[in-house]
Amino acid sequence: MLKAVIDGIEMELKEKMSILDAAKKAKINIPTLCYEEGLSIYGGCRLCVVEIEGEELFKPACATDIQAGMEIKTHSKKVRNLRKNLFELIIATHNIDCQLNCLTCSRANNCELKNIAEDIGVSKMRLDPIKRGEGIDNSSYSIIREPEKCISCNRCIRKCEEVQGIGIFTTANRGPETVVTTFKNRGMGNVECTNCGQCILSCPTGALHELYQKDIVLDILSDQTKHVVVQTAPAVRVAISEPFSNQAGDISTGQLVTALKRLGFDAVFDTNFTADLTIMEEGTELIERINSGGKLPLFTSCSPGWIKFIEHFYPEYLDNLSSAKSPQQMFGALAKTYYAEEAGIDPEDIVVVSVMPCTAKKFEAKRDEMAGDVDYVLTTRELASMIKSAGIDFLNLEDSEYDELLGVSSGAADIFGTTGGVMEAALRTATELITGQELENIDFDIVRGLEGIKKAEVEIGELKLKAAVAHGLGNARRVMEMIKEGEEFDFVEFMACPGGCMGGGGQPISCADNVLEKRQQAIYKIDKEKKLRKSHENPYIKKLYDNYLEKPGSEKAHRLLHTKYKARKI
Amino acid sequence: MVSEKLYLKGDKLLNILDYDFKSIKNALRMGRKETIQKIKDSELKGRGGAAFPTGLKWQLASEVEGEEKFLVCNADEGEPGTFKDRYLLEERPLKVLEGIMLAAFAIGADKAYIYIRGEYTRAIEVFTEIIAAARKNKILDSKIFDSNFKLEIKLVRGAGAYVCGDETSLLNSIEGKRGRSRIKPPYPIQEGLFSQPTVVNNVESLCCAAEVLNPDSEEFANLGIEGSRGTKLLCLSGDLNKPGLYEVEFGKITLQEIIYDLAGGIKAGENLKFVIPGGISTALITAKDLDFPYSYQAFEKRGSSLGSGAVIAVSKKHDLLDLMLNVSRFYMDETCGTCFPCREGNRQINKILKEFKNSGQKIDAELISDIGNTIRLAARCGLGQSSLNFISSVIENYGQELKIGGKIYA
Ligand SMILES: Cc1cc2nc3c(=O)[nH]c(=O)nc-3n(C[C@H](O)[C@H](O)[C@H](O)COP(=O)(O)O)c2cc1C
Ligand code: SF4
Ligand code: SF4
Ligand code: SF4
Ligand code: FES
Repeated sequence: MLKAVIDGIEMELKEKMSILDAAKKAKINIPTLCYEEGLSIYGGCRLCVVEIEGEELFKPACATDIQAGMEIKTHSKKVRNLRKNLFELIIATHNIDCQLNCLTCSRANNCELKNIAEDIGVSKMRLDPIKRGEGIDNSSYSIIREPEKCISCNRCIRKCEEVQGIGIFTTANRGPETVVTTFKNRGMGNVECTNCGQCILSCPTGALHELYQKDIVLDILSDQTKHVVVQTAPAVRVAISEPFSNQAGDISTGQLVTALKRLGFDAVFDTNFTADLTIMEEGTELIERINSGGKLPLFTSCSPGWIKFIEHFYPEYLDNLSSAKSPQQMFGALAKTYYAEEAGIDPEDIVVVSVMPCTAKKFEAKRDEMAGDVDYVLTTRELASMIKSAGIDFLNLEDSEYDELLGVSSGAADIFGTTGGVMEAALRTATELITGQELENIDFDIVRGLEGIKKAEVEIGELKLKAAVAHGLGNARRVMEMIKEGEEFDFVEFMACPGGCMGGGGQPISCADNVLEKRQQAIYKIDKEKKLRKSHENPYIKKLYDNYLEKPGSEKAHRLLHTKYKARKI
Repeated sequence: MVSEKLYLKGDKLLNILDYDFKSIKNALRMGRKETIQKIKDSELKGRGGAAFPTGLKWQLASEVEGEEKFLVCNADEGEPGTFKDRYLLEERPLKVLEGIMLAAFAIGADKAYIYIRGEYTRAIEVFTEIIAAARKNKILDSKIFDSNFKLEIKLVRGAGAYVCGDETSLLNSIEGKRGRSRIKPPYPIQEGLFSQPTVVNNVESLCCAAEVLNPDSEEFANLGIEGSRGTKLLCLSGDLNKPGLYEVEFGKITLQEIIYDLAGGIKAGENLKFVIPGGISTALITAKDLDFPYSYQAFEKRGSSLGSGAVIAVSKKHDLLDLMLNVSRFYMDETCGTCFPCREGNRQINKILKEFKNSGQKIDAELISDIGNTIRLAARCGLGQSSLNFISSVIENYGQELKIGGKIYA
């Protein structure tokens, strides 16, 4: 322990604590921009500088450990002035003019620069914006980069490299030409980007955002000749209210359905339904592989960020991937076949739209292997923006139910939205199908929680199933390396985003604390409160097999619900 | 008449067989502790610009625990107007080699790097040959001069970034990373190259150390005055009759004598306006104020520094604004781009000066001082912190003449 004084407050503090953290303990907010919890310290923006008694130069609070006896001024007049000057310098690089102003920016509602301006009380702007003349990078199906809005805070670089373990971005050039870009400036669509969108969540500005399809979807909704059906991913319902309420952890499934109906979708279905279906297909595949000595471990295949990752970095393991399509794609395939037949609509007239917590789903929908299943993919953020622009008072909406045929799901499907959820859903079904007995306790706590890598050995009758769960691509890589080194597993769940889909790159950019924990609690709550909690008990799944697909893994199921992967270069 | 004191300078010496390595042999005989003590007693300060006491640096490094330690010789010599390290590498490379060996021995390193400015092709050639010759003659690698001391030296060629002269950026560069400063602490002594304890020393500092330990030049450590010991290589340039490299004893010669006697005065028909005493990161000294002995403390008293020893004489014929623009352009282009105050501040200062030059647009005194202070107080490394020293001193001394109001550093 050591003693120090921060803004006149005497504090007793632990050693090795940054001035930033120490100030937080004293309930003092120091503005930061390049700092992000969970990433390495960069010390570039210098907005967090503080004055230390006896030292001539200011020190960055994020990068300076507190020392015994330090007297720190975090908001002296000198410091406040300096922050304002610094802010002016930052804004001057951040091309703001009439064509590119704050109203049209993707981050109009939650721009960190605007928040900081308010925090430090910026009152004047004396410098003209400097145009850099960089074009927009729209080479990716998922993510758009607007370098002119980039302030080179390096957060995307660190997120991609340190959390996701990929390293798509780099700093190039020096001096005023310093820019953040992709390898050889090739563009995000032409490098190993997995489209996970984690970088978007880290960007303080509008320099990174998804490829927007909200306007096209709004246009199509007003086209009377089209039958537009929508599906909503499990993780959307626990996050869609955040942009309206500014708090996390609320469940708004019913309001979500109402809002979609009001927006004019002809049928509102649930990706959860095909999540249940995924369990049937993937579970069958797992049992088959175990019984027939097939390739193990079996890897889950519902996270398209993970799929592109393994295609680039571990192509030698593609045969380990389940051939089951992701729930989004299964839904698209069924909407244009099964649903079209049942409802008597020409598949040509059906447009399938997904609402996903994920930016990689946009890329997935464009994959040659499954082109045409899904027509448009919206992120949770895009849907929130559409709801706002339609004047819908989301928080006060009454609840509605999903349309039935492809809209009924079990709690096992809901938990697909969190890390560990696919594994747990699969374990529930596999155990009962293999043993033929009903589970006493269907909560597999052993695969729950937010630990990066979870391992479990589960007894299913005679069988001891070795399972692992990894979320975040950095952890995915770690598990792949364990496997390479000979560690044995039977079944591994991989999700590209930290926390799983609920932490997806298309989710609202939240200012609330502990968002992931809160969303996760909400997801388990939905599951707990449902009567139907096992995929194989879903009556509409049974109906689908009875009336249409025959049985899991049938020839028809394979044609509609399974896919292939391809090795990609690095 | 003033004269040079020749210790570091001397006849070109490239043949390893003609060099007797007395200093390192002396050090090997004395042991590490005593070697360091000798350097501490000599009051040697780093010649790379920051003037950190060399003996203390070695002592701290020798006391740190680490899997391995590194000695890095900084031969990036990026400060405009500086050419002393180039001279040492091309003409006196054996002394440089000996200095590297000494430092490595003192701190307990068995690997050393020398990072040479990329444009110095001749120096790179010479030193590559010296390393090869030393290995061939069993002066490197293991059992050096029959002791247990072993040393491997690697030469790394710089890629032309000024910021890579900064020791932490240089370490990044050697590691193959982007040339950008590291956050200090940890200092290189604690966590340097490949996260191991590392000492970075300038070429001239290492040569001075070799001089201190040379039994033939025992007096070296007593040259100069308290606080400024030994000799200093001066790179005299600008509007001088006899520009070039000179070696002077600290405290025994004035800046006036350096300009007018050693360098033969200002070119015919021109009058001296000011002297930049230590490269363009130092504040100028006006022509009226040259009559003081050359020492660390005398410059410090005047709010400047002897920096790298690049003394640039500037006559009245130059356009002050052009000079400022030139320097400003240099800093703007050479920032590593990491920290916002340096990257954006220098860009804005350049823009403001340019507009003033082109259209006479009045300079907003408050604005320029706001930006200047922001860079100096908040920049992440020495480059940014000192980037406006020269420009600020021009405005302070000649603001009226230039019709620029205000001051950069408030
Ligand atoms: C921007 C910048 C450039 C520098 N360039 C050099 C250089 O070219 N050569 C050098 O020896 N030191 C240079 N330095 C100083 C080094 O960081 C370091 O202090 C020095 O190499 C230590 O050696 P010394 O103690 O022997 O002087 C530079 C520092 C900064 C901030
Ligand atoms: S989308 Fe994911 S993989 Fe691509 S750059 Fe962003 S963080 Fe990296
Ligand atoms: S794209 Fe965004 S996160 Fe990345 S450096 Fe630029 S401003 Fe920062
Ligand atoms: S002060 Fe300049 S050179 Fe140093 S870190 Fe900042 S931008 Fe880079
Ligand atoms: S937040 Fe500390 S330097 Fe950017």
